[in-house]
Amino acid sequence: MSASYQAVLWNRQKKHYDWLIFAFCTSYLAVFTSVTLVYNPQVTFETLLIRSTSTLALLLLHVILSIGPLTRINKKFFPLLYNRRHLGVTMFCIAAVHGLFSILQFHTLGNVNPIVSLFTSNTRFDSVSAFPFQALGFFALVIFFLMAITSHDFWLHNLSPKVWKTLHMFVYLAYFLVVMHVLLGVIQYETNPVFVIILVLGSGALITLHLVAGFQETKKDNIKFHLQRESFVMVCDVNDIEEDRAKMFCLDKERIAVYKTDGKLFAVSNVCKHQNGPLGEGKVIDGCITCPWHGYQYLPHNGQSPPPFKERISTYDVKIEESKVWVNPVPYPEGTERPGAIITINQKEEMFV
Amino acid sequence: MVVQVIILIVGIYILGGVLFAVPFVIKGVTEVDEGTHGTKLGFRLIIIPGTIVFWPFLLSKWIKSNKKHD
Ligand code: HEM
Ligand code: FES
Repeated sequence: MSASYQAVLWNRQKKHYDWLIFAFCTSYLAVFTSVTLVYNPQVTFETLLIRSTSTLALLLLHVILSIGPLTRINKKFFPLLYNRRHLGVTMFCIAAVHGLFSILQFHTLGNVNPIVSLFTSNTRFDSVSAFPFQALGFFALVIFFLMAITSHDFWLHNLSPKVWKTLHMFVYLAYFLVVMHVLLGVIQYETNPVFVIILVLGSGALITLHLVAGFQETKKDNIKFHLQRESFVMVCDVNDIEEDRAKMFCLDKERIAVYKTDGKLFAVSNVCKHQNGPLGEGKVIDGCITCPWHGYQYLPHNGQSPPPFKERISTYDVKIEESKVWVNPVPYPEGTERPGAIITINQKEEMFV
Repeated sequence: MVVQVIILIVGIYILGGVLFAVPFVIKGVTEVDEGTHGTKLGFRLIIIPGTIVFWPFLLSKWIKSNKKHD
């Protein structure tokens, strides 16, 4: 859906969500400040700002990284996914305040350029207890910066989805850098182990979530379909699929969605051209298969986005025999028209037998 | 010393990006991506940071699209 861009795509739901992010961030900063002032009234404004923004950014980063696996484990979490980008940009801005004030606080007092000072004031890269941990934070911040400035769909299209996805995969490297930044930094000035424990628990939770989601997905992909005939594979019963909805199958490594709409079945790729969203989890709206993630649309019979859009997905042959659905997992070139399979009254009625 | 040289190079690169971004967001975008015809100021502003960073790539796209139109 590349016909026209807006600065920010806001609808009512997203506005709600953004207000929630804003309210959460301000409350966090307020609570952090009050608690610190109670226990440590001598704290300076800079330290307060550096520490409250850093911990908030770290917390948001954990939320952001949990959203992917959570939505794969349970569909209820989908609303979180819609605004993950806004959350990401927010996180970057907050982390940038932390980085900027750290540089101001620790590197602007001498006569060396602050950025030069960041890399040269401590060069003990061979030490654990005095490691220049700030450089790690800097590189993480650079990655978050690149992600934030390319978060608009314009960049997804113009850098190509592949490059864009690869760039955004670097978030895992950034996460690793941040964890090391915090661990190596905290041991230099903090004797209370609570911080390290919280961080280890957070990372542990994230890794577990990713493993569980990955495991569930491989299990789904490896379901074997035994009945095969002339390169068609039997996948389910016609009545297993609801009207205007789909069922998804992984056959010969092809991810396929079989949609039921308007008295017919159509098989198309399950992978959305936008960001590889699961098309089979969407529904047919105004005659178009509509991606559940950001609403890209495709016509069921040829996999083409309705004009003026230009996205196309692969289509497949599907047929019905005695109410059983058979799919041929060999894809047609993207956007190829297929007749689909007509559902006869008979097959519908078998449901009540 | 090495750090200073790197920072200088990055600085020059970014300066190039800033200079490039002005004509690009006014005119170039619409030639590189048809979907941007008639987009408002907000959109143009929001792509400036990315333009400053990815300017050599966008410049080559812009030149290529010019050749196509000739
Ligand atoms: C230019 C980049 C960065 C610089 C120069 C920097 C610098 C610092 C410094 C000096 C500290 C110790 C602060 C203190 O004494 O209280 C610190 C701690 C910390 N940083 Fe960073 N940092 C950067 C980026 C990041 C990023 C991107 C994150 C994560 C999103 C992050 C998260 C943290 C956390 C959680 C702590 C421990 C809590 C604290 O003391 O503030 N930092 N950083
Ligand atoms: S992944 Fe974004 S619309 Fe499908």
